[in-house]
Amino acid sequence: MEKEKREIVRLEKVVKTYHMGEHTVHALNGISISISEGEFVAIMGPSGSGKSTLLNMIGCLDVPTEGRVLIDGVSTAEMTEEELTRIRRDRIGFVFQSFNLIPTLSARENVELPMIFRKVGEKERKERAQKLLEKVGMGDKSDHRPSELSGGEQQRVAIARALANDPSIILADEPTGNLDTSSGNEIMNIMKELNRTGRTIIVVTHDPSVADFAERIIRIRDGKLDVS
Amino acid sequence: MYLEIARRNLKRQRMRSVLAIVGMIIGVMAISSIGIFGNSLKMSTLEVFGGVATEIIVYPSYQDGYSSIDPHTALKISKIPGIQDFIAVKSRTDYITVRKERVFGTVYGIDDPGQLVKISRGSLVLSSSNCLAGAVLAEKYGLRVGSKISINGYSLRVSGILKEKGRSFDINPDRGIIVSEQTFNRLYGGDYSFIVVYAGSVTGVKKVSDQIDSVVNRRGTVVKIWEMKDFLESINRAFTYISRFLMAIAGVSLLVAGVSILNIMLMSTIERTKEIGIMKAIGASRSEILTIFLLEAILLGVTGSILGGVLSIAGGYAIDMIILKSAKYVFVSKTFLYIAQGIGFGLITAVVSGLYPAWKASNLEPIDALRYE
Repeated sequence: MEKEKREIVRLEKVVKTYHMGEHTVHALNGISISISEGEFVAIMGPSGSGKSTLLNMIGCLDVPTEGRVLIDGVSTAEMTEEELTRIRRDRIGFVFQSFNLIPTLSARENVELPMIFRKVGEKERKERAQKLLEKVGMGDKSDHRPSELSGGEQQRVAIARALANDPSIILADEPTGNLDTSSGNEIMNIMKELNRTGRTIIVVTHDPSVADFAERIIRIRDGKLDVS
Repeated sequence: MYLEIARRNLKRQRMRSVLAIVGMIIGVMAISSIGIFGNSLKMSTLEVFGGVATEIIVYPSYQDGYSSIDPHTALKISKIPGIQDFIAVKSRTDYITVRKERVFGTVYGIDDPGQLVKISRGSLVLSSSNCLAGAVLAEKYGLRVGSKISINGYSLRVSGILKEKGRSFDINPDRGIIVSEQTFNRLYGGDYSFIVVYAGSVTGVKKVSDQIDSVVNRRGTVVKIWEMKDFLESINRAFTYISRFLMAIAGVSLLVAGVSILNIMLMSTIERTKEIGIMKAIGASRSEILTIFLLEAILLGVTGSILGGVLSIAGGYAIDMIILKSAKYVFVSKTFLYIAQGIGFGLITAVVSGLYPAWKASNLEPIDALRYE
């Protein structure tokens, strides 16, 4: 019998409102979600449905206007900026659509960066970065700058960076959005592999073939759960 | 590693960084070079005035009707304790006949002028029949040791040629002659024109001049007492102010350099908004972003300031050569003080200019910064 899994992310009636001039935009409109440790979840929805906002809430980049976001049972609204920074650094790994590597740093240095922020010693940092790059198949290009890498390669480096501080949650916002099909598949296979080793993966996508990798799909529309 | 990140960011906009550094170099160079020049100006001026800080000159108080100092008063002054050297000077301007030409010059009657002048040829010893000729007079009329001159028909043999003394507050014998007091008395007679005394030490100057005042001026002002030390101090002060004023003007160029750092750092903050967002998303704290950006400004400042400081030696040398026609005051220990000062101001300017952009960068909201394209 399968053991009851621990809840790692919980959203309770989350509302996010943006004020754009005189207009008020309800990006999220009372969403409640629960995600367990080790799940692979895809959040799907048309553009403007609020799926990226939802991911940013989970990633502690943003806090809700109303309702609560709990990471490991602790509400992000009650955390100080310092605590939010620490959670982003230690518990969460981000993978972005446009890779978002720092252009002046080599692949390995990009992977080192989150460890630098965590004050990991230089030797340990370099070794771990190299290992992570090897894990995503980029071991031989660790000294390349992002501009010398293809999109798929950059995204692999970005995944290695997301893993730098050994986070329990990986958040990916359209990770294959800027990649061709085969590169996209390779990236998703890496994600699947990470999930198999126990990491919680939350992927935002509008691509059904990406969502196929997930074991659960959450659909949202107009800032609400789409249960149709 | 932050330093390395900062360095690479500066390399990314190489031209821009180089221009900011050039601005810094000019600013620091201007301040330090002018500081060095101001110091040279001060030192050369003090040198012109002899710089004997223990010298006290006692004049008759002309305002009170005294035109000379009588031998009795002179004797009283000479007995004041703390005086190391006492030179009573008689002087008169008159026609001196040199090689059948009548030249207008000053005739000094001093028995032992060794403290006030230096000899270039011959001897300083004066008797009733000889004289010492001033450097300018000797050169103009080709006087040598052994030449003859005469005053009012009284013939004197030149026994020594003086070194050029330049402007001075005691005696100016360059265009005149010095004779013994006895010879002077035979020519003109009369009391002392002024008295030069030297205190044993700089700290003793005040005491000696107070003593002279209390002994001689007991019943009304007979003499005026003038301390060289006061004069030197006021020159010193005046030149320090001039120097500071010039440095403040030069400081404007450093201010401009600071503004240019502020400008490029602000541009950099805006251009790298997204990068700041990424770093925050992957766990950079405010203080880490602040450090990275501040380090960039400091790197610009350190590079510019040190280069500017070193180059200011050349700058000071050039200004000194152009204005003072001599660079002998450039290589003095104070020069390094001005260089250090310039570098210090440069660093402060860089840090102050870098603070606001760095603070701004560190305060960006990660979500807004990430969305920035």
